[in-house]
Amino acid sequence: MSPELIVGIVLGAATTLYLLFGGADFGAGIWEINTAFQSNEKERKLLYHAIGPVWEANHIWLIFVLVVLFAAFPLAFQALCSAFIIPAFLVLVGIVFRGAGYVFRAYSIDSGRQQQFWRTLFAGASAAAPFFLGAIAGTLASGDSKINAAGVYEGNYLTDWITPMALFTAFFTVGLCCYLAAVFLTREAEHSGEVELTLVWRQRALATGIWMGVLAAVGLVFVSLEAPELAHGFATRAWPLVALSAICGTGSLLLLLWRKYTPAAACTMLAAANIIWGWGIAQYPVIAPPFLTLADSKAPDSVLWAMIGAVAAGAVILGPSLALLFYLFKLTPSDSADY
Amino acid sequence: MHGARHLTVGHLMMLLADSANLLPARLQMAFTLGFHIIFACIGMGLPILIVLAEWLSLRNGDPVWRTLAKRWSKGFAVLFAVGAVSGTVLSFELGLLWPEFMGKFGPVVGLPFTLEGFAFFTEGIFVGIYLYGWNRLAPFHHWLCGLPIALAGTMSAWFVVTTNSFMNCPQGFQLDADGKLLDVQPWTAMLNPATGAQTTHMIVAAYMVTGFLVASFYAWEILRGRNGLYQRRALTLGVLLGGFFALVQGPVGHWAGHVVAVTQPIKLAAMEGQWETETYAPLRIGGIPDPETKTTPYAIEIPGMLSVLAYDNPAAEVQGLNAFPEDLHPPTPIVHVAFQIMVGIGTLLIFIGLWSGYLLKWGKSAWHERRWWLLTLLASGPLTVLAMEAGWTVTEVGRQPWIVQGFLRTKDAVTQAPGVWFIFAVTMSIYLVLTVGCISVLRILAKQPMPEDADVA
Ligand code: HDD
Ligand code: HEM
Ligand code: HEM
Repeated sequence: MSPELIVGIVLGAATTLYLLFGGADFGAGIWEINTAFQSNEKERKLLYHAIGPVWEANHIWLIFVLVVLFAAFPLAFQALCSAFIIPAFLVLVGIVFRGAGYVFRAYSIDSGRQQQFWRTLFAGASAAAPFFLGAIAGTLASGDSKINAAGVYEGNYLTDWITPMALFTAFFTVGLCCYLAAVFLTREAEHSGEVELTLVWRQRALATGIWMGVLAAVGLVFVSLEAPELAHGFATRAWPLVALSAICGTGSLLLLLWRKYTPAAACTMLAAANIIWGWGIAQYPVIAPPFLTLADSKAPDSVLWAMIGAVAAGAVILGPSLALLFYLFKLTPSDSADY
Repeated sequence: MHGARHLTVGHLMMLLADSANLLPARLQMAFTLGFHIIFACIGMGLPILIVLAEWLSLRNGDPVWRTLAKRWSKGFAVLFAVGAVSGTVLSFELGLLWPEFMGKFGPVVGLPFTLEGFAFFTEGIFVGIYLYGWNRLAPFHHWLCGLPIALAGTMSAWFVVTTNSFMNCPQGFQLDADGKLLDVQPWTAMLNPATGAQTTHMIVAAYMVTGFLVASFYAWEILRGRNGLYQRRALTLGVLLGGFFALVQGPVGHWAGHVVAVTQPIKLAAMEGQWETETYAPLRIGGIPDPETKTTPYAIEIPGMLSVLAYDNPAAEVQGLNAFPEDLHPPTPIVHVAFQIMVGIGTLLIFIGLWSGYLLKWGKSAWHERRWWLLTLLASGPLTVLAMEAGWTVTEVGRQPWIVQGFLRTKDAVTQAPGVWFIFAVTMSIYLVLTVGCISVLRILAKQPMPEDADVA
């Protein structure tokens, strides 16, 4: 296997993990908009309890993706940064206020007004970040990004990223985050023995899930109209993954109905992951559509091999640490006196 | 003062003439880095104090130490999150503001950034476990989970500073005729001659910043009459950390200076306001270099000392700025003044460290009677931060006009996208919200009542 393909797979894996875990954290923040109106303390506690210990770690997948991208595919990184300076900056604003809003809220105990302010900021920012990330993904997928084969951007910074496909993907990403969060929260509510909350979240998960199914079907139509290159890739190469995603998505809904929440969460994760992998395989070997490929934009091989070594060595520390974190907070029943 | 005026007007004009984006991009980079680094320093130093306090509580079962560890870890959670989000801003900014730099040298500096990513991961994971695991883990295991936080924080600083030392002292690659990279050796680039001194100096600085900031905060509390065992112990731990590393920083700073002399002679000349090449070069204390007349008036000169400091030999020749073409001179007054500030404060902190050590060990008077000492400590925290920021000003401004010494000029690295001033303005408002939020939440945390057994006067 060529080193750029290995690094490309690492990038894909990190992006997937960011979507699954970082995305669920964003989703929980978006649901907070809902709970803010109903102001149900118990509900809120479950929500914050679920993201508290893990959001820092989940967030770092994004940093990792950025770093690996610029180190391994500098030309693509440079082109993407030029093309998406505005939406990327908006993503950044979202991420900053999500993180800051979360801790400021968590630790401004006993100060109603301030806490309310940070909570609102946290919720709004949680929606903004995936929205603009989705917009970037949509523009890329449609092949409208105006990055030429030499990696030079020659479009209009201000308006190019606002296409129909981009808007669609933006909303789709937000919806996906909400669905992931709702399914995970259902599972966690059951885990901590909250019968009532489990039902509330199950209902929310079902409602969002049905919507996502409809959106996904519309999405395929959208892709075939707006992104012919990608549609071709889907039809010829990536169809097994698209099919798998659809099956897992449907499966997750059924499992929710049958109240099998842990398998439902697994199915949801597979459905989401297959969207990323389907997309990646459909456009391989292009990294910055429409033209720029992995091989065109890669760093010298010596760098790629050094990075692969670093990733392998890092994984030895990372794997067990992550396992410990998730074991402690996601697999053992929680009690409320953790703070 | 003539030099300074010349600099501000002349330098600004030059900047504006270069590219409309250069000035806002540099201002934004300097501001966001200067902001992040304060939180990064605390992110390295505070875990050490927390782990120490928890260890003391485990050893002698004293609830005051445990209260300290618990309360500090809440403050740490807030500061760490601000460090994390401001660091994320930086990762984006490198690409958004300096696409040429990243496009060209990204592969060379990618390895340390990748390794840093793993350090962040370890840190983020164990921060989660530590903060939320007080009741889930056995006390000793909980303490163990604090250690990787301290270690990983320091490792991330080490990795990121190797990137900066590469910018100062680039090696480990070749360029072909079109300026494309050939033959990159990432490990050689990472372990360049400036790496050892710069990383050590930075990490020691971070421990000093944390130690003196903690001492500063509790000196304020005690001065306001909150003179309990809790505050006195907190202050003692802070002063010990800061004071010890202040002593270490003296020789390490000398090492850093020596490395600059060998690898970046122009920067050294600017730091010292040295215009002529001479043997027995004097060390200048104070003074403001004047690029017009090429002199450094108002300085106290100690003959031969600069040659000694830079090369351990009074007869050694030190190159002056005049030996280099004028368009390679950095803004000399800024570099020189910043250097004076850093070294001046560094020297002062050594004395504060020694004085504190003496009082803590042999002092006879009661704590609240040591007013002058407490007032000095109150000032020490902000001063340490100032020294650290001044040090970065020396490093970064002293490298100008280069972003990668000798290979890429700053003006050639800046983004061509429009609206950088607008982004700068938005960034400033975001950081304002972050700062206000952080301070107000920390105040709320500080005001929370102490548990009964913590003996608070
Ligand atoms: C607590 C903060 C602090 C203190 C007291 C000192 N420094 Fe420092 N200095 C830094 C914090 C710092 C820094 C912010 O951490 C820098 C910026 C880049 C770096 O790696 O360290 C730095 C850079 C820096 C450089 C430039 C390195 C380069 O550009 O490659 C030199 C020559 C010195 N220092 C020398 C000294 C000397 C002789 C000191 C006398 C005691 C001293 N520093 C005290
Ligand atoms: C690995 C760490 C660092 C990297 C990669 C880095 C990178 C850069 C870059 C790309 C620039 C723009 C070029 C310029 O305007 O000079 C810059 C400038 C600057 N950076 Fe750094 N920097 C690092 C560390 C720091 C830190 C921690 C500070 C803390 C204060 C700092 C302070 C500055 C300042 C003050 C400037 C502006 C210089 C000027 O306007 O003349 N740097 N740095
Ligand atoms: C030389 C100056 C720098 C030092 C010493 C430093 C050190 C640190 C440390 C110790 C942390 C841990 C977070 C904390 O405890 O608050 C951190 C966080 C971070 N830094 Fe910096 N940093 C520097 C400059 C940079 C630069 C130039 C970048 C941009 C690429 C950067 C990106 C980050 C990111 C993304 C995080 C967040 C990681 C997380 O979520 O834990 N830092 N930095």
